[in-house]
Formats: sequence, structure tokens, C-alpha cells
Amino acid sequence: MTAKDMAKITINLIVIYVIGGLILAYVYAKASPIMFIKAKEEKEAALRTMMPEADKIEAIGKWEPHHKHAEYYAAEKCGEVKLKSVKDEKTGEMKEEKECINPQNIGYVVEGFGKGYSSYINILVAVDNNFTVKKINILHHAETPGLGDEIEKDYFLKRFEGKTVDTLVVIKGDTADKVEAISGATISSRAVTEDGVKNGVKMLKEKLSGGEKEQQGEEDQHGSHS
Amino acid sequence: MAHTHKSNWELIKNGMFSENTIFRMAISLCPSIAVTNSLKNGFFMGVSVIFVQTMVNLTVSLIRNFINPKIRIPIFMMVIAGYVSLIDMSMAAFARPIYKQIGLYIQLIVAFASIFARAEVFAVKNKIIPSVADGLGMGIGFFLAMIIISFFRELLGKGALWGFPIVSGNPLLIMILPAGGFFAVGLLMGFFNWVDAKLAERKAAQETTEKLAA
Repeated sequence: MTAKDMAKITINLIVIYVIGGLILAYVYAKASPIMFIKAKEEKEAALRTMMPEADKIEAIGKWEPHHKHAEYYAAEKCGEVKLKSVKDEKTGEMKEEKECINPQNIGYVVEGFGKGYSSYINILVAVDNNFTVKKINILHHAETPGLGDEIEKDYFLKRFEGKTVDTLVVIKGDTADKVEAISGATISSRAVTEDGVKNGVKMLKEKLSGGEKEQQGEEDQHGSHS
Repeated sequence: MAHTHKSNWELIKNGMFSENTIFRMAISLCPSIAVTNSLKNGFFMGVSVIFVQTMVNLTVSLIRNFINPKIRIPIFMMVIAGYVSLIDMSMAAFARPIYKQIGLYIQLIVAFASIFARAEVFAVKNKIIPSVADGLGMGIGFFLAMIIISFFRELLGKGALWGFPIVSGNPLLIMILPAGGFFAVGLLMGFFNWVDAKLAERKAAQETTEKLAA
């Protein structure tokens, strides 16, 4: 291979790769802002379904179950919603804006991860003020089809209603106050219950009820903002 | 294979049947086991492959005169990876509901032997229209194979089709586990070979009777 051949091949490769790179960069520049906005909207919608009665769900902190990034949120319900007219600073037009008066904390939503049979199970848990589970939802998992993927079915998710840290325990067979395991999927059931949901609720309880005063202060701050 | 002399329709049929990616060439067997545990998965995987295969064949054929034969492999990689990223990003932004269904599969296509093989064996040596026909045929062939495999696996393994329960009772759970994928692909491949052998036998018998008659 002569030096000329080498140069030819190199230039050939560079030209095609640069063209390909430019096309990808252009599409990424166009698509990425939309991608991020849509992903954020979807997350907000998922949170709203967890606490349909809340008027506002705000992130109040971060934690790292299994070294994964997760957040927890406070749900607030307005004592009263007042419409007021506000002048838009840019256009100068008057428009209606909702004002939340006397917001009250009605519970929390926490995102958690449980280590399952073949994947990390990503879970959202909604709890009330007393840290009793109201609702859970499976966001993402890759458990065995036909066995472990039963965890996303309603009949299993319903078993979590009204559970507390003490009753979030998996039992094989009938149980009155604990969580009954899915037959053939004990590992996945346990991952959701004892690793995901229980740890999430426990973390919330430790962080929030321990620092009651601190939390009060934070709420006052929120109040003054809105 | 040098320039092809087949008509476009023959090329499409070739990809669908006589050179079917999975049942005849036995390449890209990985997705045929990994994502055929439900009809829905198989369907969306097949659709994604039809699209990517056709586009890659089109592009490779389009730039075939600029490709130095010594570096054709890295260039095919670039084209395939480029298309996969393009589709992935634009779907994530503009077709969110579809993206949620097939986003996972689109990313898998980067590593498909069948797409690479068609670029190397066919598109880089042929004009644009036959290349598109070949890509389409190969894509449809793959699609049909995925549908057939996933149909049997979901029906036997879950007693359902497209997520809707059809048969009640205890299904053969092993069929939707990876081991069942090997069973399904092997048995179906055997079945098609058997059909082929029977057809050839019948043809041979017909020919001898014709000869005897003459």
C-alpha cells in the first residue's frame, strides 16, 4: 500500500464520517429540546396519577436507592383556589392566573428501586401524611415474562393499599394484613415490597417525621414563594 | 454475487422465502429468540427491521461509488448506526407513543447481522432500485418469521395473542422463556425444511412421470 493509497482511504473515511456526524448533530439539535420537554411532561403526568387529588406536587429532595438517582415529592392541596388577573410583563396583556391559598400537605410521592430477579424495578409510591401507602405504580422493569411481570398487574398493586412500614412484608399464601406473594414470582414480589416500597417509605419517614420542625420551616418558605 | 439479473419482484420474493433471513440463512437468530415472546413484540421488531434494512440498502447503494472497498466495513457500520440513532432520536421527539412501544427494539438493530450482510452482499454491488427491493424483501422475510415465531410462542406460552387471553388453563410457560425460543425456532425451521423436501420430491416425481409419458 503506497502513501497515496493510505491518504485516499483516510480521506474517504473522514469525509463520510464527518457527513454522518453532521447529519446526526443537526437532528439531535432539533430533537433534543422536544425530547426533554416531553419526558418531563410524562413524569409530571405520572406523578399526578399517583395523587389525583393534589393541586401541586413538588420535588423536595433526592435519595439514591441502589446508587440510582431518585427523587421524592411533597403533594399539596390548596385550601382555596382563587383566580386573579395578572399583567403579563412581556406583552402587557391581562390574564387569569390561579393562586393557591393556604396550601396543605396531604402526603408524599417517592420514587424507588427494588432489585428483582433480572432487573431493577422502578416504582412510584404515594403515601399520606402518616406514611401509609395509598397507591403504588411500576414504572419500569425487565422481569421474566409470564412470571415476574405479574407485578405490574392491578391485582398485585392493590395489595399495597393501606400498608405501613411494619406490614410491608411478603407472605407466601393467604394473609390478612401483609402482602401476598405472586405464586412463582416470590423474588420479584419481595423486590417490589421489601426492597422498593418499604425502603422508600422508611426513608421518607426517617427524613421527614424526624425533622418535623425543619419541614415546617420549609413549608413556610414554599408558602411565601407562591 | 455480481450485478443481479433478477426482477424487483423476484428480489422481494427471494428475501421473503428462498433466502429468508431466519429460516433459510439462519442469521440474526438472536432477536428471533429474544423479542418473540409476544406477538406484539415480534410485530414491532419486524416493522423496525423492514424500515432500517430498506433505508440502509438504499443509502449504501447510493454511495457505493464513493466507498473504497478496503474500508467498506466501517462505512456500513456508520450508515447503520447513523440510521438507528436518527430514527431513535426523531421518534423520541416526534412520535412518543410509538417510541414507547418500539424504542427498545430500534436500538437493538445496530447489532443485526442480517442488515450488515445485505449491505455487504448486495447493496454495495447493485443499483439503487434493486437494492431497495432486496432490502424490502429481506425485511419482510424477517417480519414474517418474527410473526410466525411469536404467534406460536405467545399462544402456547401465555394462551394469549397480542395480550388478549384466548385459551384458558395452564399455558406451557417454557415457550415464552428463552429455552422455548430455541424450541420454536428449531421446530419451525425443521418444518419448513420438511415442506421444502416434500415439494422437491413431488416435483421430481412429476418430472419422471412426464418423462415416462413422453
